[in-house]
Amino acid sequence: MPDPRDPNRIELAIARTLDPRRRLSRRLFLRDAGRGAVLAGGMLSLPAILAACGIGPGASGSGGASASALASGGAPVGGEPSGNLIFANWPLYIDQDEDTGESPTLQMFTEETGIEVDYQEAIQDNQEFFGTIQPALAEGQDTGWDIIVMTDWMLGKMAGLGYLEAIDVAASVPNFVANASDKYKNPSFDPNNAHSVPWQSGITGIAYNPALTGRDITSFADLLDPAFEGRIGMFSEVRDSLSLALLHNGVKPADATEDDVRAANDVLKEQAPLVRGYYGNEYAQELANGSLAVTMAWSGDVFQLQFDNPDLRFVVPEKGGILWIDNMAIPKGAQHPADALAMMDFVYRPEIAAQITEYVNYICPVPAAQDIIRQHAEDAETAEDRDYYSAVAESELVFPTDEMLANLYSYKVLSEEEEQLWNTLFQEVTQG
Amino acid sequence: MAAWLRRHRGLIPYLFLLPGGLWLIVFFVLPMLTMASVALQEGSLSSGYRLTFNFGIFPEVLTRWNEQFLRSLLYGLAVAVLTMAIGYPMAYTIAFRGGRYKTILLLLVIMPFFTSFIIRTISWKFILADQGFVLGTLKDIGLLDEGFRLLATPVAVISGITYNYLPFVVLPLYVALEKIDPRLIEAATDLYASRLQAFLRVTLPLSISGVFAGSLLSFIPAVGDYINAELLGGTRDTTMIGNVVQTLYLNNNDYPQASAISLILMLGLLAGVIAYTRILRGQELTA
Repeated sequence: MPDPRDPNRIELAIARTLDPRRRLSRRLFLRDAGRGAVLAGGMLSLPAILAACGIGPGASGSGGASASALASGGAPVGGEPSGNLIFANWPLYIDQDEDTGESPTLQMFTEETGIEVDYQEAIQDNQEFFGTIQPALAEGQDTGWDIIVMTDWMLGKMAGLGYLEAIDVAASVPNFVANASDKYKNPSFDPNNAHSVPWQSGITGIAYNPALTGRDITSFADLLDPAFEGRIGMFSEVRDSLSLALLHNGVKPADATEDDVRAANDVLKEQAPLVRGYYGNEYAQELANGSLAVTMAWSGDVFQLQFDNPDLRFVVPEKGGILWIDNMAIPKGAQHPADALAMMDFVYRPEIAAQITEYVNYICPVPAAQDIIRQHAEDAETAEDRDYYSAVAESELVFPTDEMLANLYSYKVLSEEEEQLWNTLFQEVTQG
Repeated sequence: MAAWLRRHRGLIPYLFLLPGGLWLIVFFVLPMLTMASVALQEGSLSSGYRLTFNFGIFPEVLTRWNEQFLRSLLYGLAVAVLTMAIGYPMAYTIAFRGGRYKTILLLLVIMPFFTSFIIRTISWKFILADQGFVLGTLKDIGLLDEGFRLLATPVAVISGITYNYLPFVVLPLYVALEKIDPRLIEAATDLYASRLQAFLRVTLPLSISGVFAGSLLSFIPAVGDYINAELLGGTRDTTMIGNVVQTLYLNNNDYPQASAISLILMLGLLAGVIAYTRILRGQELTA
């Protein structure tokens, strides 16, 4: 369980106090938190080092629990709610009342269902969080969480490993079936939503500052233009960078063969001398301060940056961008699966989805939320609120057009060998 | 206890060594051995790692990452030379001309340590930003070309490391210089040595222990630095070996390669330090 003195939580609290109005997005916030991660690098690597000391995978302390009890039986979870729910999510990823610090969504959920929610912002990084629950999952033990939120590629990996409970969405999450956009149903990383439903999602595309580029940017080829030497930003996240390069070569990431990946990597290698840096979340700051003219970007960040600099633009590259989806799932052996299903169903009510989207500004999986937010704009008491709500409702970054969505693809779910290959190849790009 | 100690007087020095010795064993020797063992293992995260005594990994990583090794050594040398060039006159002035301001001047040297060095390095990012108040101003008055930048260049990385390690050079130099009896220098000039000769033949040899300590305290951490390279560099041609290790450990989960690199770096530096000590031994290292 998180330590209340965890530096990330403290930074989070500071960020909230300083900037309650601007609804700092998760990734924008992590831009700063990432600095701390550099410092904490030594500490972070400690468990990793220990794990590497010739100990087999998942051989954590209390061995011996019978894995058979939780063997990958395909029967969907269900039953009567127990009245408790332990929910792990990313920081700043749910609505929050600016005065009380409570989440209205969670309060309404508890009022209506009687289920108490222990909501924790425990996830900073897919790999890292997976590392914390993997030993328990490998032993067939309860991880302590009833809902976790994982990005699509990690979710696919976990489902493949048999680490997630099966869900029957038609029976248990009817609001998802009724209200979710088709784009979110039956995704490639989790066919038939057999283990998950989306929480929020976003686009990996290109952002640019027209004042610095002097022209409209439309495609990945613009990121290869020597005219922008030293002012091009790329992502250090291998999946994002290689996937965009794959799309540039006309290959859908999910279909990429080893040859495709090598070819895409060669494009990035050739581009490297032009690149200013390979960024995590800090690219947003570099874009905002004018060091970058054109950069890979996440949609939610650009939406927020536009409040300060309305000139900044975000585009889905002509040959395609990435739609990444963070998904709710129930880890194997969770104690309160029925409560988890109730929560999943609850957030797919359009009015709840709208409430969350107004706060987090990522792409909402419920199209009907758009009209509700428009309504909120009309009903708003102050001009400031009205402007804010209509900015959210009308933004293509929060409610992408069908044209945009049609040009978005998913990450490939990588096997361990593929992951190694991608990492090794991409390191040649970023570090020589 | 006291009576027992009196009877075993000979044990007292060992008792004094105990805390430090334990500290070294737990936090240095054991991790070293673990690292050596990890370097010789093969496997993957999901299938586990096994010790296969894969000694081939050492030539392998040296060839694969020779460019980054070399760059780190060069940056380290540049930093050692720069910190010495900046630090020696500073320490000299404080020691011989500081007068009653000595304490304040020394405090100023240590002052930066009151802030986390990550924060200080990030501040350099703001100071040196393309449109920041330094470059932006120089560009506005036409002294610099519009496209000029310092960040994401080797210059920025070396400057950043130099800045961060300067106090580690000034302090030992100051200690060495402060101990020098000014009358020795007076005696040299009385014996018709020029000021330069007096410096070269009296002051410098007497301060050589400070030069030795200071240069090692800047060179060794500079070679292994990755924060400056990441924050002020970040491009492919500013990648230092520390960045490679970080990526291998935290991103690629390639523990054997990362451990092998760390081990090579550590042993290589150790050999370098021993050679350096030998060279300086002719000088009065114990001064």
